[in-house]
Amino acid sequence: MSEHDASRREFLRAAVGAGTVAGAGIVPEALAQTREQDKKSTPETNAPPHSQSNGEGLGAFLNRDDAATVAAFTERLMPGAPGKPGARDAAVLNYIDLALAGAYADLQDFYRRGLAQLDQYCRETHREPFVHLSTGQQDAVITALEEGKATGFTWPTAQEFFNTLRTHTMEGMFADPLYGGNKDFAGWRLVGFPGAQPIFTRTDMQSKQAFIRAPIIGLQAQTKKP
Amino acid sequence: MATEKTDVVIVGMGAVGGIIAAELGKAGMKVVGLERGPRLTTADFSAHDELRYFQRRDLRPDVKRQPVTWRRNANERANPLPRLDYGNQAGGGTVHYGAVSWRFHEDDFRARSHTMERYGAAAIPQDSSLTDWPLTYADLEPHYDRAEYELGVSGKAGNLQGRRIDGGNPFEAPRRREYPLPPLLVDQAGQIFDGAARKLGYHPFSTPRAILSQAYDGRQACTYCGFCQAFGCHIGAKSSILVTKLPEADRTGNFKLLTGVMCYRVNSDNSGRVTGVACYGPDGSDNTIEAELVILAPFIYDNTRLLLLSKTDRFPNGLANSSGHLGKHLMTHIGARVFAAFDDRYVNIYMGPSAQRHTFDDFNADNFDHTGMSFIRGAQVSVAPADLEAGPIGAAVSMNPPPGIPRWGAAYRDFLAKYFARYAGINAQTENLPYADQTIDLDPNVRDAWGLPAPRLTYDWRRPNELERVEFMFKKLEEVGRVMGATHVWRSAMSAGAPGAHHEGGTRMGNDPKSSVVNRYGQSWDIPNLFILGSSTFPSMSGFNPTLTIQALAYMSADAIVKRYKSRPGPLV
Repeated sequence: MSEHDASRREFLRAAVGAGTVAGAGIVPEALAQTREQDKKSTPETNAPPHSQSNGEGLGAFLNRDDAATVAAFTERLMPGAPGKPGARDAAVLNYIDLALAGAYADLQDFYRRGLAQLDQYCRETHREPFVHLSTGQQDAVITALEEGKATGFTWPTAQEFFNTLRTHTMEGMFADPLYGGNKDFAGWRLVGFPGAQPIFTRTDMQSKQAFIRAPIIGLQAQTKKP
Repeated sequence: MATEKTDVVIVGMGAVGGIIAAELGKAGMKVVGLERGPRLTTADFSAHDELRYFQRRDLRPDVKRQPVTWRRNANERANPLPRLDYGNQAGGGTVHYGAVSWRFHEDDFRARSHTMERYGAAAIPQDSSLTDWPLTYADLEPHYDRAEYELGVSGKAGNLQGRRIDGGNPFEAPRRREYPLPPLLVDQAGQIFDGAARKLGYHPFSTPRAILSQAYDGRQACTYCGFCQAFGCHIGAKSSILVTKLPEADRTGNFKLLTGVMCYRVNSDNSGRVTGVACYGPDGSDNTIEAELVILAPFIYDNTRLLLLSKTDRFPNGLANSSGHLGKHLMTHIGARVFAAFDDRYVNIYMGPSAQRHTFDDFNADNFDHTGMSFIRGAQVSVAPADLEAGPIGAAVSMNPPPGIPRWGAAYRDFLAKYFARYAGINAQTENLPYADQTIDLDPNVRDAWGLPAPRLTYDWRRPNELERVEFMFKKLEEVGRVMGATHVWRSAMSAGAPGAHHEGGTRMGNDPKSSVVNRYGQSWDIPNLFILGSSTFPSMSGFNPTLTIQALAYMSADAIVKRYKSRPGPLV
């Protein structure tokens, strides 16, 4: 594990935390439990806290406040529940952060402005930025964006911003873990997708049952093959 | 500036270019092929990466470098299309396509005459430019046969020399022999669809695909991995031009492929002949290739665009455009789609070669009686995943949830978690009629990375005939979904006029130089040493996917060039 990786994880965890703490009273108990279990079972969380986790410039692109907003927003789009991994479990924030620093660098200003407009709208309608709203209020805000009823958006429009965040959330849920989301195949486990299988047999093709013959395969396992 | 001389230059090395290069090279002609994108190899496709290939469209044109704009009508300003579906590398669209390989019906080649004979002239919408092809199915049959065997197509005959065969398409035109390979395995989606279609009295069968069901011609058989449509094949079992005809062209010793090259003009002289092409190299250099014979075979937009960009004093309206029909009669397939989701079984539609897997042809062409209906022509009905690609990103971004379920939140999560492996899509691919005011021309405002005007499409599929047909098909699809035993059956949304898949038209072929751009061989009426090939020459489109017909026509053109034009250059008709 490199220092950079450790700091980066700390940054993202802090961003995620900001969202959960804000909505602490609203987070279902079961969800909190899932998160505790994840912490226990995930090796990386056994590492000691990093000494330099001061939160300055540790993300690939998003600043800490924006990261917290994106984490909270995407979790409402794909909320986690016991046995049902959501955006946070799948590290969708990490996916989006890395994408904005790379493949989607042309969307950096789209995100900056979209997030600023989102918080402005939340302050006008609920007197608080998005991350401080209850999940019910957050859902109402997202609905207003989706329906194009949220005011004050110029570019991106409310619907453009919603649609892009929805698309990127789905990408972060279901793209190969190579891209930073779909952590531990969380998204693929959610929907029952076995990943990059190289072959399906006649029996597989004609079964009415869920596919369980082989474990989930990701790109890194695939490329290790001779 | 570099100048190169050759016998033949081909612009675009896709479904057509590879066939022409191999055939002309074998006949001893020196061929230079120009390709805008790279030449990839099967090893490049080892990664089964849905984000890269499906969602980020790695094998398609970059819409910022190579924009194509679209408007609904001539009064609107056109905007760049958000995504482009054609190929952007050697092998063209055959690298990423679903490899569905149809022969058109006999009446597809004479839709106008057939409609008039059966229903009267009044049945054809007044504003449609529907016309017959300048050739018949029988003319093309030997070339269909050749393409199927040269490339490797898996399927089951339904009509062997007029004899009906069980298991194939009973509506197909007579073929001289069986497919070279037996049908691909039928998956769960195909089986349920098959059972329902039979119950309803239809005639389902495994869709013929240029994917190997058995080892063939030194290539191995499909492993049913499911990373098919939108992906290059990781073992070369998809019979793309990349793994079939380009190696064959290489072996002739007469073929040179130049990649990263953008052709921007066809050069012509005062005698009315073309002399070659001008093109930009990957380093930005401006080059000339002089050739005795110029063959245009890019995706259809660029046939029209190149001819318009090549206008001269002698050809002020663009090359090959004395008829005035250049750029007109643009057609695209529109997909009406219904989703069917099951509580009592898995479907696992992510398995197996994606795209249109199992088909019934009962509502295509004029295979059903249109008497009393307010539309003509039909659609191919098939079972397929959400966006013809079956991974979870595809399902999440392309499959609208059923009415009552939102697109996000816990209810959506639960919908996707429950039904991702338990749904099938049912698709009607409609034969939209040609209309003269559906056009390709040069965008006055938008330019591509080379500084050339972008192709501009003026198109809206929502004509009365087309809307009626879509509604008719939706009802049929919903009925199939219910008989399949689905718990939920619901429609996908239709586009607000936007062009769909498989574009055709712009350089239509015909018998009359006054009303068509090329003859049946794709040869320009105006300029005999200029050939314009591909689906841009289709006078009408059929409900079937175009690629095998494009390829059969390429074999027919190659045959005419080698056997007749080569020894006596001049008009072939």
